[in-house]
Formats: sequence, C-alpha cells, structure tokens
Amino acid sequence: VTSIGIVSPIGLDAGENFKSLALGRGGIRLSAVYNVMTGDVTLSNEQIVRQLDLPASDYSRTTLLALIAAREAWGGSKHDPLIRTGLISATSIGGLDRSEKSYIERRLKGLEGTSKELVHDIASTTDAVARDIGIKGCISTISTACSSGANSIMYGARLMQNNLLDRALVGGSDPLVRYSVEGFRALGIYDPEVCKPFDARRKGLNLGEGSAFMVLENEHSISRSGRKPICKLTGWNNSADAFHQTSSSADGKGAWLSIIKALEKARIQPTQVDYINAHGTGTRNNDISESKAFIKVFGRDMAPFSSTKGFIGHTLAAAGAIEAVFSVMAIQTQSVLPNLHFETPIEDTGLQPAVKLERRSIEHVLSTSFGFGGNCTSLVFSKVK
Amino acid sequence: MFIRASSMISFQPTFRNPGFSGRLSPLGKQSSLITPSYENIPLLDRRRMSTVLKMGITCSMDCLEQAPFQDPDAIIVGTSMGCRTQTRNFFDNVLEAKDGPISPTPFIFSTHNSVAAQVSMRLQNYSYNMTHTHGTLSFEHALLDSILGLSEGFKNVLVGGADELEPTLYNMPARVGRDDLTVAIGAGFFLLSAGSAEGRPTLVDVACNGLIDSVAELIAEFVKKNSLSFEEIDLVLYAGGKQTHKELSLLFHVGKLVDYEAFSGTWFTNSCFGLAFAVDVLTVEDHPVYGNCRNILICNNVLSENLGLVLLTRS
Repeated sequence: VTSIGIVSPIGLDAGENFKSLALGRGGIRLSAVYNVMTGDVTLSNEQIVRQLDLPASDYSRTTLLALIAAREAWGGSKHDPLIRTGLISATSIGGLDRSEKSYIERRLKGLEGTSKELVHDIASTTDAVARDIGIKGCISTISTACSSGANSIMYGARLMQNNLLDRALVGGSDPLVRYSVEGFRALGIYDPEVCKPFDARRKGLNLGEGSAFMVLENEHSISRSGRKPICKLTGWNNSADAFHQTSSSADGKGAWLSIIKALEKARIQPTQVDYINAHGTGTRNNDISESKAFIKVFGRDMAPFSSTKGFIGHTLAAAGAIEAVFSVMAIQTQSVLPNLHFETPIEDTGLQPAVKLERRSIEHVLSTSFGFGGNCTSLVFSKVK
Repeated sequence: MFIRASSMISFQPTFRNPGFSGRLSPLGKQSSLITPSYENIPLLDRRRMSTVLKMGITCSMDCLEQAPFQDPDAIIVGTSMGCRTQTRNFFDNVLEAKDGPISPTPFIFSTHNSVAAQVSMRLQNYSYNMTHTHGTLSFEHALLDSILGLSEGFKNVLVGGADELEPTLYNMPARVGRDDLTVAIGAGFFLLSAGSAEGRPTLVDVACNGLIDSVAELIAEFVKKNSLSFEEIDLVLYAGGKQTHKELSLLFHVGKLVDYEAFSGTWFTNSCFGLAFAVDVLTVEDHPVYGNCRNILICNNVLSENLGLVLLTRS
C-alpha cells in the first residue's frame, strides 16, 4: 500500500479522518432529509463539482465521492507504460441516486415508460473514475453488498499476485440515497440514536456515506515509481456464510472461515494480530455473530478491537474500503482506533472493544467486512519490516 | 482448465438442449424468454424472486446436475444490473405505502450479489463467493476471477452471467447507442475445472479491456499472446453490430464471423450466451453448420468502449 485517500462524515481527506478518530469526534447526526440518524459527507454535489473543477455537473454522487478519494489516493502517482495499472471499485448504488430521483419524479407525475437515465448501471461510476485518473484496460466493479469495498481490494491484489497488474487503484464508494435509507428502515434495524457497536444495549445501525481508495504496488512498480510503502496487504479471504440473505449465522461460520483463511494467507498466527477493525454494525445480529467468530479464532484474550461505525455509520459498499484505510492508518500511526458509545459488554461474550485511541506497537491488523447474502471478507495489513 | 458443464436460459431453445447451436434462427420482434419450469425452486421463492435470480439458480443447479458435482470451490457471477426489478418493486412499495409498513423482501433480494448468495445457500457452500458488476465486462471479469482461482489452487469453479431488464430505471438501448437492437435477457452458467477432459472444451484465455482505443489492436495482441495466427481461429462469435463486424473483417475472413447477438439479443452479460454457443459447437462432432472447429474466439463489443475476449479450444 503506497497511498490512501478517503472522504467520510468525519473528514474530507486522510488527515481530517485520522484527527477525528483520534479526538473521538463522530459524524452521525439526525438527517433533516430522512428523519433518521445518518453519517453525511458535509459537501453537496455542487460543492464537490466546484472543488474538483469537473467539466460537467451531472455526475452521480457515487462518482463524486469516489473522485475525491481516488484523486487523493492517486496523488502524485505517474502513468508509466511499464507499470500495468488497473482500477477496481466497489459500489452498491452506482447511478441509482440519479435514477431513483428521475423515477420518483416520473411516477409522481403519473408517467410510465422508459427512463432517460444512462448512468444507472453501476459500472458507469467506475468508468468515470477511470477516465478522470486516466486508467484503461483492467477496470472492474464489484458489488457484494456491504463487503464490496474489501472485495475490490482483494481482487486488485489477486490480479497483481497472478502477474496481470503491477499497480492497482482499489476501493469503493456509496452515497446515502433514499433507496437504502428506506430499505434499512423496512428491515427495522436502525438505532434511533448513534449506533453502539458491541454494546449489550445496541439497537441497530446508522447509515453513512463515503469513499476510500488505496494504491497497491508490487516490487516492480515501486522500483519504477519510487514510492515508499506505508504497509503491506498480506492476507485476504472471502467465504460464504451460506445461511440467510440478510442475517448472519448464530456461530458466525462464514466470518470465522474468512478470518482464519486470511490469517493463513498472511502466514501469521491469531496471537500475532495487534488490532482488529471489526465490521461491528451495531445490529443485534451482526455483533453477536461476529463476536462468536472472534472468540472461536482468538479466544477471549484477543487483541484490541473496535468498530469505527460509531463515527461514520455503515457506508455499505464503501465500508470495507474505508475500514481498510483506517486499518492502514492504524499501522501508519501505530494506534488502536476507538469504538464510540460502548459501555456494557454483551453478556454472552464479555468482549470489550477499545474505547480510546491508544498508541502501541502494531505489526498486523485484521479488517473484517460482511455483506447481505452471507458474503464475508477479511483482509490483513502488515507493517513493512 | 476445461468446461465440464454448461447451462443456458435465453430467448433461444438453449436450456437442456445439446446441439442447439445448429438450430438457431435470428430473434424477431415477438421473441421472448423461453422459461423453464423452475422446478428446483420452491413455489414461495418462485413468486418472490426476480427472473434473474430464478434463471441464475436454475442454470447453476442444472450445471451441477450435468457434471454431476455438488461442491465447487468458488461461485462467481457476472451481472450488470443485478436484481433490478426488485429495486423497482421496492421503490413502488415505498411510494405507495404512505406511512404504513413496507415489506423489506424486494430490498433484501435487490443486492447485486443475490444470485451468487442464493446458490451458496442452496448448496450449503461456504467457499469463495463473488459478484462482478462491470457493465458489459461483468461476465468476462467473472471468468477472469475463475481463472485466478484455478491458478491459486481451486479445482472446480461455478461461474455464470445473468441479467434482467428494468426499462423504467435505465435506458439500456440508448446507452448502447446502436440501431435496431433486440433487447433480451438471459443467464448462462458453467462449471470450470482444472486440467482437461476428452471431448470437453478447454478455456484458454480471457481478456477484459475497458475504455479501449482499438478493437483490432487488442485482438491482435490477444491472439499473438496465445501463440495463434488469425488463420488458426476457426470461428469468431461477436457482439457489437455492424461497426464490430467491420473491425473484425480487417483481421478475419468474413465467413468466420458469426453475430451471436443476433441470436441472443442484447443484454450486458450476453457473452455468456456466446460462451454457451461456443461450448455447444465444440462438443458436437461434425457440427452441421460450423463443422469441426478447433479454436473459437468470443468477442464482446456490446458497448463500443469495452472489449471482452474469450478463447476456447477443442481438447
């Protein structure tokens, strides 16, 4: 990993995000639009278009958020015909923010028929980022619900390890849209207050929006680009929970499989993990299932862990990418990141997440992401020796 | 790696119909999906699942029955739109509900990875489960991911493409921008296995090219990379209309060019139809239309800015 970029409810770049994490300053508020607690990026679409000096204004918000993070991550990287470069991006929304608006408008006017929208297909937002950065060829979009961001990082790494790419810009983006807000409302899993991951009194999740990207480079790419690695992506795995479309299994089988196989890939023992950035959505179901998986892998005496969703909410397809960037920051700054609003451990597990930023020696970080359909992905980031 | 089994649902009589490639006729205005009985799907699910999900599950199960094999090391799906009719259903529910309760069912089945997820649940399969959603390259990326998996040690991968239509949310024909498209839907699944097998086609290579400059250059590069000459390619199955035909005719004898899209209709993952077509041609001895082909190139240029290439050979 040679660089990172992020935009979230707690900051418009990597520096601002880390500062908020360190100060315990969350970004979840009562949404005036949706009347639930949400984590909003504090820029309007118009502000982003101006800030990025974009040629047009009719972008999907998915693209706009992705452009902020992708441009920051790409930073001073240079195009080089001898560095085979790809882009893998994750989203669950794509251009749906625009098509939902046009669909609702047309329906309210009583019009049926074909949409005029051309950007609904979720690849269009990835292509817009590719055009902006100047990447051609290996461009892909992954959509596996809430694990998408982690999967795009994994796919980029695997394309590199199989010698098809030397460098990959990988990440994900999801905006807050009416579709997902109403979807999770229908599921009845909102916490009316700010979510409390891993707390016995947790009531549910809050939705958030954002985007994060990172640049992965192999040795060859680094030798030409001259960039210094921040840390290494050493382990990854995706496993299925094969249980239910929206619920995690009681024993967290898919989560457990993805964690042990990612550690195996990184060639480390569970005891070598120094910090875990958990999925920890704050729902009754996820947090107990994930805790069970943790206990099965690590025992009760596990490394410090936290869910950062109390800061930004659940950013769906972007969550895996955002939390991977937070994991990179944990190594970069040698700190354990805090879990906001935790007071009482879940009786069954007794697990206590870290509640304050704590500086300590961190060599290996595990990041977990789980999505609808039982899609479980774990990534391991390690300090460069 | 070889293609151990394939299963296709489309506007053509492709499902459980070996030799279909010799009996195809171009689609007309009245063509529609040839729907199988979906007998493997419980009645309740049949009612609440969208077509893409039913097609995907049915093709997956059919592939595994044919093999026969029940325990793939990965389930990988390419879909450009996922379960978009569910997206629309949920919107409609939200708009009609006023302040009453709304069923979350369409929402939970509307995620793009529903097909791969539902197959994993039916098989109690805990292995790698992935969904690629990059427009017209979704299926090719699913194939590429399968090849990566096989090179990393997987032995059997279930891979497929599936899409359905929701014109009220997205104007697909306008996006494609070609005249006289027959818009269609379909699903094609394949069981890919490591090694080779007598009589089963070998999957040689896949390339996913996004935001391309030149069709001809990329094909020349791909053919050369696989140590073949243009003459050694016996059949080129392509999608992309007249412009693609024009570019391909610079490289290949026009007699080798077959517009598979004229048979499948246009949808973003219709290259899975191209692959099912090629597999069928390669598994029929003395094919009545295409003879004994050895190498088949599938060339997906459905959107002019993207080029998916798949190379198959007779074992």
